[in-house]
Amino acid sequence: MQAQHIQQLFARYKILALLLAVAAIWIFFHIATEGAFVTPRNVSNLLRQMAITGMLACGMVFVIIAGEIDLSVGSLLGLLGGVVAVLTVNLQWSTPMAIAAVLALGVLIGLFNGVWVTRMRVPSFIVGLGGMLAFRGALLGVTHSSTISPVPDDLVYLGQGYVAPMLSSLLGMVIFAVLIALTVLRRRRRAALQLRQLPWWTDVLKLALIGAALAGFIVTLNRYGGVPLPVMILVALLAVFTYLGTQTVLGRHIYAVGGNLEATRLSGVNVARVKLVVFAIMGLMCAFAGIINTARLAAGSPSAGSNGELDAIAACFIGGASMRGGAGTVHGALIGALVMASLDNGMSMMDVDTYWQYIVKGTILVLAVWVDVLSGSQRD
Amino acid sequence: MAAEGDYLFEMRGIIKAFAGVKALDGIDLKVRAGECVGLCGENGAGKSTLMKVLSGVYPHGSWEGEILWRGEPLRARSVRDSERAGIVIIHQELMLVPKLSVAENIFLGHELTRPGGRMDYDAMYAKASALLQELKLDDVNVALPVMNYGGGHQQLFEIAKALAKDAKLLILDEPTSSLTARETEVLLGIVEDLKHRGVACIYISHKLDEVERVCDTVSVIRDGKHIATRPMAELDTDAIIALMVGRKLESLFPKVEHAIGEVIFEARHVSCLDPVNPQRKRVDDVSFELRRGEILGIAGLVGAGRTELVSAIFGAYVGRSSAELVLEGKPLKVRSPGEAIRAGLCMVPEDRKRHGIVPMLGVGDNITLATLQHYARAGHIDRQRELQTVEAQIGQRKVKTASPALPIARLSGGNQQKAVLAKMLLANPKVLILDEPTRGVDIGAKAEIYRLIFELAAQGVSIILVSSELPEVLGLADRVLVMGEGRLRGNFPNQGLTQEQVLAAAIDAGPRAAA
Repeated sequence: MQAQHIQQLFARYKILALLLAVAAIWIFFHIATEGAFVTPRNVSNLLRQMAITGMLACGMVFVIIAGEIDLSVGSLLGLLGGVVAVLTVNLQWSTPMAIAAVLALGVLIGLFNGVWVTRMRVPSFIVGLGGMLAFRGALLGVTHSSTISPVPDDLVYLGQGYVAPMLSSLLGMVIFAVLIALTVLRRRRRAALQLRQLPWWTDVLKLALIGAALAGFIVTLNRYGGVPLPVMILVALLAVFTYLGTQTVLGRHIYAVGGNLEATRLSGVNVARVKLVVFAIMGLMCAFAGIINTARLAAGSPSAGSNGELDAIAACFIGGASMRGGAGTVHGALIGALVMASLDNGMSMMDVDTYWQYIVKGTILVLAVWVDVLSGSQRD
Repeated sequence: MAAEGDYLFEMRGIIKAFAGVKALDGIDLKVRAGECVGLCGENGAGKSTLMKVLSGVYPHGSWEGEILWRGEPLRARSVRDSERAGIVIIHQELMLVPKLSVAENIFLGHELTRPGGRMDYDAMYAKASALLQELKLDDVNVALPVMNYGGGHQQLFEIAKALAKDAKLLILDEPTSSLTARETEVLLGIVEDLKHRGVACIYISHKLDEVERVCDTVSVIRDGKHIATRPMAELDTDAIIALMVGRKLESLFPKVEHAIGEVIFEARHVSCLDPVNPQRKRVDDVSFELRRGEILGIAGLVGAGRTELVSAIFGAYVGRSSAELVLEGKPLKVRSPGEAIRAGLCMVPEDRKRHGIVPMLGVGDNITLATLQHYARAGHIDRQRELQTVEAQIGQRKVKTASPALPIARLSGGNQQKAVLAKMLLANPKVLILDEPTRGVDIGAKAEIYRLIFELAAQGVSIILVSSELPEVLGLADRVLVMGEGRLRGNFPNQGLTQEQVLAAAIDAGPRAAA
């Protein structure tokens, strides 16, 4: 009985369990580094590091929910980051022009991958594996296997800049106000349609918790210059992707396609188009991540994004996405990315050998999914 | 046969609870050698749970009560333990590996081997052939993959597999749900043979005529409780139904008169090629028409091409197909299920688990899957309006669910089917294709589905009903098409039509009616 209760609790509040895991990891590193881990400076760095994996994970979680996988994202991130460097440095394009071009290119390459999967019916694992090699090769070609720098300052700002503390606080308040407004609107609408209402205190409690987390987040980061720009972009992406996943026809269709492709097709949904869009979004996210990566390094590097796909995929699974498709959340994937980034950051601070870092990350991935299996949520 | 009172197998006071809820509450069940006990109960009565207890899926200790095997307590910790004792269960869903050969499947987990663990194929082929011979299957090449054979054959392979394990007690869970009348006949004959050889059987089925025929004793359970155990001689179908539902069912077919209008839909020259072997035609030039408010039954043996025919019309056939369709006087081109649904042509598919539901999605999300656009503006779903529709549908269709957000996989088969029906009804069909709409559905839900079919017909919806249950076709349809080997073999108005006539046409032995 006892074990069953805990199991149910885990399954229901998976996010809570994940956050507890993050807290445990942070406490461990905080003690192990003698108080150097949970400081405004390090948290700021940590989140900045996480932003790139997080962007990939946003796209990847939809790919995984749709029942596919994309192994090419690390190389594609590198390629698109290289292209933005070539455009700005070698061809002297203006930064906005170069960014727009790379975002468009990302979508196109994503669509290209998607066409291979849907029209040509090559399994996505293979398409990704092919892309992983081909895009890396293309990156070596466009950069002539050398680092391209210096990229313009306005581009660097995207990766290294901060949203000023005042503005950060203001944005935080705006986000909170929007959440309150959405809650009130939803309750009004439900009342108008005479649907059952949740007790009001659950909504208040939920908002209070989110508000407290948001305030803590911004106050901490403001003590180190404000919210890093890539982190702000990631927060915006979290909002956009959560909206896509839960409030739109596309989102519902993504879950349905991954949950049962045939039943979804027989319900009249154009399943090929859904998958195509998912791959296009993945391409777009590679472009985001590639641009931010180049901006952070202030250079286009031929090795950028190596193993990026593995971190992104691991983040999704740690965050509760199902290997079989049909289940997963954007916020889960981002917490997964936070777990991976925390491990990287903490172990680097402790001067742990690289080989240990790989072993620990691999072990954590398997353990996390094992806990998920125990909680029963990976069963069908 | 064993002496009176000498039970091979006895269950006493079985109680099994899940999280405090009793799924089984004091069940008794006894079987003598050579006896066949029918186990009846509506879906959700606890039959599956009971079978899992007795076959060792739920190990000894995870339930209360006791099981006696030849008078000795049996403490099976796994399916393997109970199989070793001689208890073999044949599940409703076939458990065969499609790409392995018939013989490999029959001996799966109990392979005959030579020294060093090498497979003794010769011995397995010989023994498999002998076993199949006993089951009167002499057209099977045991070295070929199982997937080369149809559902009826596969069900018999399952029985051969059980016999290979030297079963003393055979549990058959809805063994005829995918069989045609003739295959059912063969299977029932085999059960009778097994009884004569001293094998005990527990026969679980919604098809009470089969229970009536092969069972010596009937046990009825309802809501996890043992209701009655009586000799079959004292019972008949109506009496069993009365025990199952606790009240007398007037009739499953409250035939409702409805007006039939002009021709609304025509399908001409429908042909389907086998996706694996394009030389073979699964459907060969079938044409028919359908009137407004008409219920058109399509009967035939399994493999006659009925599902292929309706899938092709709905744009969902997997291989190559061709068809000329006319809806309300206008030619209609259907390249995908999406186009069909938008044109007013909807289908509830045969295989609910694979084609009907998205198991992890909520009941509500499943119900609106085909019509999500109705609640959306610029891609944004108005979730509250969606929920309003969903709750109305759940109420109207009597879908029993704790919440619209509950994953649909947790519902019973009948309730899942009602949700799938609701999904298609929201698309406002002009023509509704129902492929085996009551398969694996309990009697209560069945009656509701029948009522719904008549209600729709009265509203002017034209219905194509594919069913392997002849009483269902004859009880519902205004006209019956009979298919055999991909061709149309009969087109009968349902007036004084008998099961014998339909069956004769299906096996191409009777007179053909004018098409």
